[in-house]
Amino acid sequence: MMAEGAIQAGCAFFAGYPITPATGIFKAMIDELPSRKGLALSAPDEISAIAYCIGASMRGFKSMTATSGPGWALMTESVQYALMTETPLVIALVQRLGPSTGGATQGSQGDVLLAEYCTSGGYTIPILCPTNARECFELTILAFTWAEILRMPVIVLSDKEIAMTTESVDYESLPQMTSQDRPKNSAFVEFGEYDKERKNGTYYFHALHEIPIFSPVGGSRKVTATGSAHDKAGTLQKNSPETIDVLAHLEEKLLWRADDFVAVKQDLDPAAETLVISYGISSRAAQDAVRQSRKSGAKVSMLTIQSLFPVPRKKLRQATEGVKRVIVVEENLRGLYRSVIERYLGPIQVRGVNKIGAMITPAEIRSVIEGAV
Amino acid sequence: MFEDRKMETMTAPAGMELVYRRPSTLVDTPMHYCPGCSHGVVHRLIMEVVEETGIQEKTIGVAPVGCSVFAYNYLDVDMQEAPHGRATAVATGIKRVHPDKIVFTYQGDGDLAAIGTGETIHTVNRGESIVVVFINNAIYGMTGGQMAPTTLLGMVTSTTPFGREQPVMGYPLKITELIAHLPGAYFVTRQAVHTTAHVRKAKKALQAAFEYQGHNKGTCFLEFVSNCPSGWKMTPLEANDWLEKNMLPMYPLGDLKVPGRN
Ligand SMILES: Cc1ncc(C[n+]2csc(CCOP(=O)(O)OP(=O)(O)O)c2C)c(N)n1
Repeated sequence: MMAEGAIQAGCAFFAGYPITPATGIFKAMIDELPSRKGLALSAPDEISAIAYCIGASMRGFKSMTATSGPGWALMTESVQYALMTETPLVIALVQRLGPSTGGATQGSQGDVLLAEYCTSGGYTIPILCPTNARECFELTILAFTWAEILRMPVIVLSDKEIAMTTESVDYESLPQMTSQDRPKNSAFVEFGEYDKERKNGTYYFHALHEIPIFSPVGGSRKVTATGSAHDKAGTLQKNSPETIDVLAHLEEKLLWRADDFVAVKQDLDPAAETLVISYGISSRAAQDAVRQSRKSGAKVSMLTIQSLFPVPRKKLRQATEGVKRVIVVEENLRGLYRSVIERYLGPIQVRGVNKIGAMITPAEIRSVIEGAV
Repeated sequence: MFEDRKMETMTAPAGMELVYRRPSTLVDTPMHYCPGCSHGVVHRLIMEVVEETGIQEKTIGVAPVGCSVFAYNYLDVDMQEAPHGRATAVATGIKRVHPDKIVFTYQGDGDLAAIGTGETIHTVNRGESIVVVFINNAIYGMTGGQMAPTTLLGMVTSTTPFGREQPVMGYPLKITELIAHLPGAYFVTRQAVHTTAHVRKAKKALQAAFEYQGHNKGTCFLEFVSNCPSGWKMTPLEANDWLEKNMLPMYPLGDLKVPGRN
């Protein structure tokens, strides 16, 4: 479904390297993309796979790759490069049990922080997290829109259970969504005053949050991209004020519009004392647990977070209004996402339901919901 | 350290002669490999050599990820797994701190000739005194039969549904030929194990390689042209036949570099 979503979003370039449980996306792209106006390539490793995508994306083609834990580790250098060069890119990260080779056919939600904090400097990388096959389709399309508009890498964080479980989806009922394209210039952009002093001209912005249109590659003016610290012309510099501006801009362009980059599913009860928060595969057990607990009289709300990053702070605030405690359900040992959102929950009591090696069951969640506050 | 297993002996029933047995260096357990797979044969050959030369306690193996990720369950020597592609790099570290040990890696073609190409070339170029066992089955076995750099032109794999096309995916990589050019390579040979005659020759090559390691003159590199019945979607016999007809013309058997000769 991710492959379907990607193709519907206009993905024109895919490169991959086999790794369970992400190989299905790779294989589907190899099978489908060539007949649907795209190019799908096998790379000799993940480092190459993501680099092919960066090259293709820099030339304006919507690009995607897919991997799992060990491959992601190899890709992170280039993820940072994509961030630094403002190259749109969608990466499907299908989680399996780690660390290291871990368990290739064992599900997990252990890569949440590994994915988010893969950059030096801790830049916010948008992460979308589907809970089922249908959302794989929808959120992949959304990921392309985000990547293109923000000009940055966007991660779709799935996991082994979602990727390798057969689910039926009614194709007819799928939304006819398309993804937005990055604004493009057919000719060299005039940068006014700034222009006069420079030979190169990649882009220009005034306020840090502006997302400038890039000059086209292959025009009258030299356009450069570098993963080294650079000015707005893409020229390498050490720590000039303009370089620092560019670095701040990489974060500002997302945070300034963070409220527009939110995807959650709310099932709120105004009288609720307890709020259950979950994401991905675990949220399906959590939703079941909430339904059952309500039947036995519990006052409980449910918030399923699809956009893990940037953290949907407003939605968190709304959902926690009047709530006495929050239960965060995720399939990892230490409560990785819980550690991130705890700081936004103020004095509310926060508990985790955590486990590895097997999916969390609704019964396990219920016992916490219905246990003493 | 291996006392318990060394004690174990196999005997023939009365009146019969024992002509074939599991080497004591191979753990007595069923292997998970698919029927007909070359991995099991090569495992056995290596362990026969280890047994015959009495080096069990000083041999250290480095297993990759790939179908042979379970090798350490079968090969009764000290083993260490390496991240995908990094076997020769890990082996370098081991050999440098233990120059007196016998160190070997055991790698698939995806591991050695795709993600690990850089490590492979640099390890041999440094002439690390290790034995590299390279299983070339022209495919990624473990992950479900995707195209590897070694996949033949026209060969159908799960990621080349219409056969490997050169304009899109290039040529089959003959990494063993590349390796043989490097001055750090001491002994380079290409063998197969799909017939008894080939198995015998392959064993001789392994014996030579393990012996040469003691010379400390460079890397011993052995390619085994192998089958993958499951990945090729063939019966074991069909796979061996296909190997003979298709793999061997592209990957001809024989020594590429022999000490004292080249
Ligand atoms: C960094 C990384 N990428 C991908 C994988 C997934 N993976 C496991 S085994 C393997 C390749 C197996 O093929 P090969 O080396 O040819 O050995 P075979 O299984 O055919 O014996 C791959 C790609 C991994 N474990 N780590």
